[in-house]
Amino acid sequence: MAALSAAEVIAQLESAAKVLMAPPSMVSHEQRQHAEHIFLSFRKSKSPFAVCKHILETSKVDYVLFQAATTIMEAVVREWVLLEKNSIESLRTFLLTYVLQRPNLQKYVREQILLAVAVIVKRGSLDKTIVCNSIFHEVSHLISSGNPAVQTLACSILTALLSEFSSSTKTSNIGLSMEFHGSCKRIFQEDDLRQIFVLTVEVLQEFSRRENLSAQMSSVFQRYLALANQVLSWNFLPPNLGRHYIAMFESSQNVMLKPTESWRETLLDSRVMDLFFTVHRKIREDSDMAQDSLQCLAQLASIHGRIFPDERAQVDYLAHFIEGLLNMINGIEIEDSEAVGISSVLSNLISEFPRSILTAIPSELFSSFINCLTHLTCSFGRSAALEEVTTNGVTTRDEEEISEVQEDDREMFSDQLASIGMLGRISADHCIPLLISLLEDRVTRLHGQLQRQQQQFLSSPGPATLDNKVLDDLYEDIHWLLLVTGYLLADDTQGETPLIPPEIMEYSIKNATEVDINTTLQILGSPGEKASSIPGYNRTDSVIRLLAAVLRASEVESRATRANLTELLSPQMGKDIMWFLKRWTKTYLLVDEKLYDQISLPLSTAFGADTEGAQWIVGYLLEKVMSNLSVWIAEQDLANDTVQLLVTLVERRERANLVIKCESWWNLAKQYASRSPPLNYLPSSVQRTLMKALVLAGFAHVDTETKQQYWTEVLQPLQQRFLNVINQENFQQICQEEEVKQEIIATLEALCGIAEATQIDNVAILFTFLMDFLNNCIGLMEIYKNTPETVNLIIEVFVEVAHKQICYLGESKAMKLYEACLTLLQVYSKNSLGRKRTDVAAEEEQYQDLLLIMELLTNLLSKEFIDFSDTDEVFRGQESGQPGNRSVSAADVVLYGVNIVLPLMSQDLLKFPSLCNQYYKLITFICEIFPEKIPQLPEELFKSLMYSLELGMTSMTSEVSQLCLEALTPLAETCAKAQEAESALFAATRHFLKLVFDMLVLQKHNAELTDAAGEAFYTLVCLHQAEYSELVETLLSSQQDPVIYQRLADAFNNLTGSSTPPTLDRKQRMAFLKSLKDFMANVGGLLCVK
Amino acid sequence: MDVDLDFQTGDAGASATFPTQCSSLRKNGFVVLKGRPCKIVEMSTSKTGKHGHAKVHMVGIDIFTSKKYEDICPSTHNVDVPNVKRNDYQLIGITDGYLSLMTDGGEVREDLKLAETDLGKEILQKYDAGEDLVVTVLHAMNEEAAISIKPLAKQ
Repeated sequence: MAALSAAEVIAQLESAAKVLMAPPSMVSHEQRQHAEHIFLSFRKSKSPFAVCKHILETSKVDYVLFQAATTIMEAVVREWVLLEKNSIESLRTFLLTYVLQRPNLQKYVREQILLAVAVIVKRGSLDKTIVCNSIFHEVSHLISSGNPAVQTLACSILTALLSEFSSSTKTSNIGLSMEFHGSCKRIFQEDDLRQIFVLTVEVLQEFSRRENLSAQMSSVFQRYLALANQVLSWNFLPPNLGRHYIAMFESSQNVMLKPTESWRETLLDSRVMDLFFTVHRKIREDSDMAQDSLQCLAQLASIHGRIFPDERAQVDYLAHFIEGLLNMINGIEIEDSEAVGISSVLSNLISEFPRSILTAIPSELFSSFINCLTHLTCSFGRSAALEEVTTNGVTTRDEEEISEVQEDDREMFSDQLASIGMLGRISADHCIPLLISLLEDRVTRLHGQLQRQQQQFLSSPGPATLDNKVLDDLYEDIHWLLLVTGYLLADDTQGETPLIPPEIMEYSIKNATEVDINTTLQILGSPGEKASSIPGYNRTDSVIRLLAAVLRASEVESRATRANLTELLSPQMGKDIMWFLKRWTKTYLLVDEKLYDQISLPLSTAFGADTEGAQWIVGYLLEKVMSNLSVWIAEQDLANDTVQLLVTLVERRERANLVIKCESWWNLAKQYASRSPPLNYLPSSVQRTLMKALVLAGFAHVDTETKQQYWTEVLQPLQQRFLNVINQENFQQICQEEEVKQEIIATLEALCGIAEATQIDNVAILFTFLMDFLNNCIGLMEIYKNTPETVNLIIEVFVEVAHKQICYLGESKAMKLYEACLTLLQVYSKNSLGRKRTDVAAEEEQYQDLLLIMELLTNLLSKEFIDFSDTDEVFRGQESGQPGNRSVSAADVVLYGVNIVLPLMSQDLLKFPSLCNQYYKLITFICEIFPEKIPQLPEELFKSLMYSLELGMTSMTSEVSQLCLEALTPLAETCAKAQEAESALFAATRHFLKLVFDMLVLQKHNAELTDAAGEAFYTLVCLHQAEYSELVETLLSSQQDPVIYQRLADAFNNLTGSSTPPTLDRKQRMAFLKSLKDFMANVGGLLCVK
Repeated sequence: MDVDLDFQTGDAGASATFPTQCSSLRKNGFVVLKGRPCKIVEMSTSKTGKHGHAKVHMVGIDIFTSKKYEDICPSTHNVDVPNVKRNDYQLIGITDGYLSLMTDGGEVREDLKLAETDLGKEILQKYDAGEDLVVTVLHAMNEEAAISIKPLAKQ
């Protein structure tokens, strides 16, 4: 391009722009690519400033102007160290003047030029060569001009500065470190940002005083309002936040206003908030502007942190704010479009100001505020519900298709439901009786409606003539009543023991004197009868009666299925019932008195340990589960909720003890073991969970004889059936028969379910049981080598067993599992190597196999860092191994496994992102945990691993690249320790030094990788100092430009020029990493110039 | 669905298909769609309205022609599943465009045509080069095709 004159360059760019702007049909793909290439290479040209200026002054093509601005921006950053300070200054002035003099520039060109200005200012703030203040001076001049077009421009300048400084992650990619962006932002937010805010507030004040605004004025007003919103939404970066945290911090969505102390005078001035209340009143009819003004108020409502010198200041601020807010709200009729904004103002106030501050405001003001809050919550809530109905309609069967990916209401509305539940507990006196009467009423009506439908069927068989709308409305009501009741009565805890909420317990205790326990139990125990038909029904415990109301819903459902009305039922309601009962069971069933200060007599009498009530309800729940599993097998979600309830019933011993006493449980176990319909038609995930529940129940505390009998009913048939099949003489001939295949698949599924049931106290038994199967499974792998579905499932069994059990296994047990896994992999590899498949989904299936194998190996490797076998003697008496003295480590096993499967990993398969990530995670793990094993690997495996690392570093995603770089450091350290200069690993690390060197110095570098690359680089430099010097020499000697040569030489000198040779010492390493960042800022990207 | 297919018999006297409930199908399994044996590559459920019953949406690929088929049906309905068998044979000869295949038990069949596919060409090429091959033959609903080859393991 050097040969071309400026005019020629412009002509070339303009014709390329024409191609790019042409409609797709007018130009070929090649032409388009060529045109793109012209721009890309132009943007990389060296010192393009003169020609860009020339373009900006002469070209009439907007796109070319845009590209010229981009080119300037990129070149300034790239060549920063080569440029004279005053030429940067004049470039900035040129760009600003350019924009000022051309009010009619296209918006996107103008914004791009201003972005270039902002980037220059930002890059300059690092070496203090450019001072922001001069810009603000210019801008305030522009604002005071009174000319709307000029004021708009001033706003654009401020906006560009603001966005460029606002974030370290979403900033223009100018190849600088996160720390750099972070420290720029900190400097900016202390001073310059406040100046912007002050300027903005002045403008808004001016506008809010004016009476009649022209359309043009009002648009300027709007822009400044938006700017104010941006300032108030600034995510103030706290001091001393590390790189990773900066990224995390800045990704947070709802930014609350937490300014630094220096903002105190500016923001705590009550005139500021008054201004925004005034502004909102003025512009609230314009819904676009109103959104910004309310957002400003919401931000002001969220203010917190060290800006407040003391609590008094906080109380004053809050009181003033609430006064302003109430004045604003009380004077107006709220528009629909304001509802969201006003709600977030209120919500921010409540969540950011501590309760003690809120109650410290004048009491009259406080109660007006609470009244206003209540009023708005109710009226907004009502409007929102009405809107839901009018836009979506009350859902009926004939309406929209709902796909499985849509969340259930209980998750989608969990926040709202949790609040409703909380409110319900606070006013339990009112809410529990209300829920009882609504639920009982709807259930009675549902019962009646179903009966009417049935009679109609009987009198005139054929298609139903009754309107389903009545039913759907009832289902919808019951659906929400169940969800609200569930959230009110119990919490969804994870990992903790769920307790009866104290409000509920107190409510029950408070009313206990009025309660007749026997009637209460009678209401509970007769779900088939109307509650009001039981004498004395009003003297019952309401918490129990609420549960009884749910059981009544459940009973209506069960009876309808027995009357063949399943078609008319709502599977959604069925799910809700199961969900409720599971939640209830966790909290209330076998209520443990030790966990509470005080306990309600009705609750402990009805559901306590050793009560008839508890045994009765377990029996009732089991009957319901049985009924669901035969009626609803085709409704996967409902079946799943049903087996989840089952797991809840048996996962705690105390409950399992009751379960195993029920005849229906034994029937379920027998029925499942016989693999007959309907249970064998359940979806496979449901069957696994069912198996899990059956196994868990086997660990209930029962006498040995019963236990023995139980296992005979549950686990032994599985084993027996399996052995019967595989031990047939002609198994090999009949293995492809459908019944045989189904038998095998059912067994494998069951094994996954058994593995899922593993707990620390049953692993000894389950491992022994499963191990027999695993060995047989390897035989199956051979038999079914041409049947991918089966192969895949067999591997999955191993994955599950390893996942659930490896951490508990002592040495000899772990060895057994390792051996089994390795044999499996050998068989798999033998049968897959050299096979060419052309059947449909072949590639997809191979990918799934390998993904599972990677998972299996990762699970095995996890033994190295999660191991409970030494501390928990779960195999006491069974194992005589000496802990901590393992002869074979998981790493050996895994490396051996990698060796087996590596030949199967084609580069095509690595294109599946999840497989690629899993693979690299595994090898990085190995390198990090056992670097010393790597040099001992067989040559072929070693080579493949090194090649994998190189490939991952250079041609995969940045995530993979990062993993590979992380693997290099421990490898190089191992080498340094071993001091064997001629090992293969030593040679490999030399090669990696060159790769990392090129990556950092010669290629466009991804700033996210600097840390990982830097660590690896430093260790490699220590290891290969001579080679490193050589690399530097070669690079320098190839530079023809003396200026660049000198810059580079200086930079390298600063980086590694110290007299002491680098060593693997932590302090030195840290110092190096720090200098590397300066190095990257100064010369990074300098050399990838064309 | 073509009901007649249920009663056509395969080699072992078993029916070519068997019915099962839609809900028990699984991805990677098989199903008959539009009368053709298909591998299920996609399965999802939906319902009409919040209180409606589940329907299953299936996408399958014909295991012989690789053509794509779709179907949607209530999850309580029965669907046909093809009996799919895969048998391995040792390739012992190719005559007049037919493969001579031997089972482990030593039985020989010579009724499978060498297909004019890429795999067919490769079989021919490897056979001509003197390589010993194991051929996997897929069988379903009275159709057959070679689907994979592997060099014979040396004993």
